[in-house]
Amino acid sequence: MSGLKVTFVQDDGVEKVIEDATPGQSLMEIGRFHGVAGIVGDCGGGCACATCHVYVDEKWQAVIGKPDDIEAATLDMVSEICRDNSRLCCQIQMRKELDGLRLVVAPNL
Amino acid sequence: MVSEANTQSGGCPVAGHGKLGGASLTDPAILAHPNAFFHSMRQEDPVHYDEKLGMWLVSRYDDIVTVLRDPIIYSDKHGYAAQYASGFFEEFKKILETEGGGFFPDVIKDDPPAHTRVRRLLDKAFTAHRVATLEPGITRVIVELIEKLADQAAGDKVVDGVNDFAVPLTIAVICEQLGIAQFNAKKIQEWSGAVTAQIGRMQDRDQMVANARLICELQNFIIGEMKSRQESPREDMISDLVHAKLEDGSTLSFAEAVSLVRAMVIAGNDTTATAIGNLLYVLATRPEVAQLLKDSADDERMLNRFVEELLRIEPPVRGLAKMTTTETVLGGQKLPAHAHLLVLYASGNDDETQFNCPRNFDPNRGNIAKHVAFGTGVHRCVGASLARMEIKVAARELIKRIDKLKLAIPVEQIKYLPTVATHSLESLPLTLSRRR
Repeated sequence: MSGLKVTFVQDDGVEKVIEDATPGQSLMEIGRFHGVAGIVGDCGGGCACATCHVYVDEKWQAVIGKPDDIEAATLDMVSEICRDNSRLCCQIQMRKELDGLRLVVAPNL
Repeated sequence: MVSEANTQSGGCPVAGHGKLGGASLTDPAILAHPNAFFHSMRQEDPVHYDEKLGMWLVSRYDDIVTVLRDPIIYSDKHGYAAQYASGFFEEFKKILETEGGGFFPDVIKDDPPAHTRVRRLLDKAFTAHRVATLEPGITRVIVELIEKLADQAAGDKVVDGVNDFAVPLTIAVICEQLGIAQFNAKKIQEWSGAVTAQIGRMQDRDQMVANARLICELQNFIIGEMKSRQESPREDMISDLVHAKLEDGSTLSFAEAVSLVRAMVIAGNDTTATAIGNLLYVLATRPEVAQLLKDSADDERMLNRFVEELLRIEPPVRGLAKMTTTETVLGGQKLPAHAHLLVLYASGNDDETQFNCPRNFDPNRGNIAKHVAFGTGVHRCVGASLARMEIKVAARELIKRIDKLKLAIPVEQIKYLPTVATHSLESLPLTLSRRR
């Protein structure tokens, strides 16, 4: 089995476990394809709409890294629900090192 | 009767209160200053049938989002088709087929899944990261135009913020992106007006015929540009569209490509020009907002927020059409199948249940991205990042370079374009001087 595992914890508490994520796909595409509630990706991954907002579990923060300036600016537009571990998951590509990743989907603004 | 008044409600400035009565969005006075009408609708009859317009007006934020998030029940394709050249469609279509190379339906206004195929292609062209690389070039264009405007305004001469600045600015930017090196900005402005009038619902037959002829010119121009790139592609967006390979391996048909280039030329300049016109209007009429911008000019974060709040409080697009594909209930209102809706983005942005004191210009809002100036859902504005960039650079460079920006006519004399689709200044007579 070559698929990678990623878990999205929806705002309603439901955990969506995806076990066939492909490296190179963005986490937004993976979440949207599997119908994760709250992963909308209106702008198609352009870092423009903040509708794929997730909180990264503490133990994954180092490997995932921080948002760049452009992503940080888009996150600032949802400052009411933005935290230190916020990321827009359209900006994160799935890769081997992220196998087992756990993300909490941010609530609606 | 709906009246505009600057009264206080719960400490917030509001646009006014009144009874809806038989008021219609088609009333020129309401088109010019719609916020009190929107407020009355949200309070009294949130999904309101406007008899003169023959459309259901969707005024509350939550209902707007419901509509935009369900493109199957609320069809963009059918709503647009019923709006387009309304009343004269067959005649309009015939003119385009005879004189304009064909009638090319807008593929961006299709419904999923057909829409998704094309949308994915455009998403890639306008990411925030790609647009960020354009900032130096856009800044050069804008600074040049500001300097020209300042020269023109020397000695208290009146200049037009819309036609001397906002319109040429956005036309120059999109033409550079598309790769149109030689262009007549005046002509492109006329073409834009002709296309947007087709969804504005305020044209008579003579205007329709004149507009159709202008769109023929536009299409013949576009087809010429496309043909010159079919054999020898260049590094520009028209070439990209002509030679595009889509995710499913297909290519665009000629008709699809013409409609997309047309959409880029028009959507790429018209609404952003409206936004920049609104920016100048706000700066000339609200000194506290001008001061705020001055204080934010070197603060990228605050500049971004300033732009977003401008888009919330003065959204260029006021209302776009949808059509129900089945009987449904929206905001407590039963709607039949084929109900023609006008989704009032501008009213959603003004909804006091979502935005505290919505008439206050407050860039520090925690939910600033919640506004629907770009829409939401599958048809969310694909050029949002480019529009934001143009408005941000215009705001920053204007406030750094221009001083004493004032209306040259009384505010009551300012005219807006007759259209339900956008809230666009016809012109904006200004006086200004260089900042020393």
